[in-house]
Amino acid sequence: MYIKDLYAISPQKTHDLSFENGEWQVLNEYIYKAVEPSYQDLIPNAQLRRMGKAVRMGIGVSLPLLGRNPKPDGIIFGTANGGLEDCIKFLNQIVEYNEGTLTPTNFVQSTPNALAGQVALLSENQGYNMTHVNGSLAFESALLDASLYFDNYHGEEKNLLVGAVEEISDYNYNIDRLGERFKEELVSNVDLLGSGTKGSYCGEGSTQFYLSNNPDNSLAEFKAFKQSSYLSENEIGEFVKSFLDEQKLDTAAIDCLLLGKNGDVSTDSWYEQVEQLFSGKPKVYFKKSVGEYRTVSAFASYLAVRLLNGQAGYLIENGATEKPRTVLIYNHFDAVRHSLILLQK
Amino acid sequence: MTTNREELIVEFKEHLIKYLNLLDLTPADIQNDVPLFGEELGLDSIDSVELIVLLDREYGIKIKNPTEGRQILVDVNTIVDYIIANRTK
Repeated sequence: MYIKDLYAISPQKTHDLSFENGEWQVLNEYIYKAVEPSYQDLIPNAQLRRMGKAVRMGIGVSLPLLGRNPKPDGIIFGTANGGLEDCIKFLNQIVEYNEGTLTPTNFVQSTPNALAGQVALLSENQGYNMTHVNGSLAFESALLDASLYFDNYHGEEKNLLVGAVEEISDYNYNIDRLGERFKEELVSNVDLLGSGTKGSYCGEGSTQFYLSNNPDNSLAEFKAFKQSSYLSENEIGEFVKSFLDEQKLDTAAIDCLLLGKNGDVSTDSWYEQVEQLFSGKPKVYFKKSVGEYRTVSAFASYLAVRLLNGQAGYLIENGATEKPRTVLIYNHFDAVRHSLILLQK
Repeated sequence: MTTNREELIVEFKEHLIKYLNLLDLTPADIQNDVPLFGEELGLDSIDSVELIVLLDREYGIKIKNPTEGRQILVDVNTIVDYIIANRTK
């Protein structure tokens, strides 16, 4: 799958490429909120006023991509929670008004597939339309779906809009905080990895890719990806090695490693095991930029494409390679769901 | 409970802004005699359902007949007149 175009709204200024050009936001917050562009010229007011943040960000990323590329043959998104804020409002209304008259907007906006549906409506796209809600592997599932789609069309050019979105809602933040996923103390994202405590900081964002099975003029390629749940810590090294073996690569072939290390002392050791396999390799800790959320691997993929094209090189730690050719992303959520994504230029 | 018509108009407009997320408007921006579903506010069919919910929750008015609804949900004046005549709370 070849990446022809991409766009992201994230806690960094990715929407105007400031982030890619070296402007890195230092975040001293418990919540890493997305820096959103003005949507006024993009989304009709009558629709914008109804949109929850997830839908707003998703459409805010989709429409620019659709505006500068041919109409895709399908739209595939991944999201763990979709418009959770609207969902909780709707559920609370059911209780508050004793299952009586309920407002349609919160319900319409809160379903996870509201985004893909609205993008299709706004762009008059009647092609394949799918939303994957596989928790912290939702983006990986969207990638898998896209790959299977392209497999059906050898020799015939097809294009897909593929991406992910996640919003922070008070509800899910508080639940996750009680589950010790997020830190109680405040540490700057500069020092995130040395915080020495449990949990991380909550992020959000939307990232999308315009994918094609035609390699012409592509920015990079999703070469391979693999996911697994319930590995044990002593199996993670073998998981990575077997993935590389399947691609007929060894660790030396990887120019840069993107790791989802998030400053949580209870689960960062998994990343350290993978780092040991690639000792001395250039690496990027992408959650220092955007925090932790369930579809953050989409942002990691976005960053990988930027790196492969010579952008955002300032983020590479201990590396001489400013423009790598092969990048491996390893991410896990709660040390339960693990994913590897290999990108090449 | 507001009984003064002018106060009720302002109160209704505040509800209208809140329920329909017309956050860039103030009550003064909404004219009493301008059709809600015309070009001025640009409301649509989903908004009409939101308005029905608003009337139910805030004023205890249930509109079940679509024909009746079309005669009530015209502009601020027609809605406020209907509220004054039919409110149960």
